[in-house]
Amino acid sequence: LLYIWSNNPFLGSSSEVCYDRLGCFTDDIPWSGTAERPIYRLPWSPEKIDAQFFLHTKENGNSYQVRTNVRMLTVEDVNCIAVSWKKGARCQYTQASNNVRVVGAEIAYFVNVLDQYSYSPANVHIIGHSLGAHVAGEAGKRRPGIGRITGLDPAQPYFQDTPIEVRLDKSDAEFVDVIHTDTAPTIPNLGSSLLDTCCLFFFCYGNIALPTKDLLSAALVSIHLFTGTKDFVACNHLRSYKYYSDSIVYPDGFLGYACGSYDAFKVSCFPCPSGGCPNMGHYADKFKGKTSDSFVKLYLNTAEAKDFPLWRYQVSVKLSGSTKVTGYVNIALYGDDGNTRQHQIFQGSLKPDNTYTAFVDAEHKVGKVTKVKFLWNNSVLNPTLPKLGAATVTVQFGETGEV
Amino acid sequence: MVLPLRLLLATLLVALALGAPSEQGLIFNLDTGELCLQSAQCKSGCCQRDSGLSLARCSPKAAETQDCSLKSLYGVYYKCPCESGLSCDADWTIVGSITNTDYGVCYDKRDPTTSR
Repeated sequence: LLYIWSNNPFLGSSSEVCYDRLGCFTDDIPWSGTAERPIYRLPWSPEKIDAQFFLHTKENGNSYQVRTNVRMLTVEDVNCIAVSWKKGARCQYTQASNNVRVVGAEIAYFVNVLDQYSYSPANVHIIGHSLGAHVAGEAGKRRPGIGRITGLDPAQPYFQDTPIEVRLDKSDAEFVDVIHTDTAPTIPNLGSSLLDTCCLFFFCYGNIALPTKDLLSAALVSIHLFTGTKDFVACNHLRSYKYYSDSIVYPDGFLGYACGSYDAFKVSCFPCPSGGCPNMGHYADKFKGKTSDSFVKLYLNTAEAKDFPLWRYQVSVKLSGSTKVTGYVNIALYGDDGNTRQHQIFQGSLKPDNTYTAFVDAEHKVGKVTKVKFLWNNSVLNPTLPKLGAATVTVQFGETGEV
Repeated sequence: MVLPLRLLLATLLVALALGAPSEQGLIFNLDTGELCLQSAQCKSGCCQRDSGLSLARCSPKAAETQDCSLKSLYGVYYKCPCESGLSCDADWTIVGSITNTDYGVCYDKRDPTTSR
């Protein structure tokens, strides 16, 4: 073990540490000393970081820490390995973001060992949340040909705008998909994810205005006070793996619509193209044209509380009646597989013969739409008791484009 | 004289716009998932809890074919009342109204295809 280190982290004469199995790590550019990473740090030793691999299989499904793992075992038979490097992560952020390199090297080493058992890295899928996304990127860089990497809200500080060897990037695996739930700039909004990573990009709920809860509710969001406080500190940031977890159980509940921006998504980019929309989360690799385009931005909305999947419909209502009124119009969809709540289509001045169109993110997939129900109400009392109806209602389903 | 009057009008309008109810409230106008004591606090109009010991949170009202309870004076529900236009097919009972358990299923009175 070779260990040379300039003691002042700001001095940064280029130094290097080497560890058996994993190789050498320098604090040269681009790892330190750039505008994005000003503080010089060397990664800690593997012994100090103490990365541990916890295996869960169908036979041995005792639920330890990662809920996603256990949920995955309900839909398929896989070897789920939870990588714990908490000793290397519970330290200064600048240090933790350099320890990422050692943990990534450990995973790459493990994949190499699997190779000796003729287990192809193409069978490996690494899911990393926050800093862990860059761990996955590091592992993928060291061991080319890993099947898939999923970055759940990759951490932003110390990684945004850095060269691709530092951060998660599309070259790190054969297929890389990223879920963004927290892309506001770190200062002042304390967002913590990375914008320009790679391939399939999912932005949930316009990525900034995620439905957050007020302080008390967030702190008590579940009976488990621990998850409650976690939600309060990083409600947006932690949403990404909750979406992933839900997407395992609801394969078609998280369709991403390719669009230029969230504002455009709110008014257009509907329905899915003939090839279908990519699924956010677990089933993203099913998307047929997945590697044809290098950078696809996909947008979708999710529900504000548990059971996050939503199914997008476009509803147009042509009004009939005699007088103009002020109020709102609600529509509920009914189909083979149940019905939805009432969703507001329009609020304001309602003119007969006008057509009002809106997107409805329904909490149920109703199947083939058999009927719709229309309801309106006026916002102020109107003693003339006006009547209003819907002449035609058109419903288009986002997944298939069916009208 | 005309200019100050216009100015006054403009400031009034700005003040009105600023004073308009915000999207998210702290005591009233609460979103789904936020803690509540009374249904009147919620945007959805239903403050719901799962059991007598659990915390109450704002929840959406029950859609057609979902479970519901009759409107009660408590203002907190185990099962939310129905959305507007729908009725809850529960029968009113004294015990049920005291224990807040007048449960039913939402249905549409005017819909001939759904019979009670």
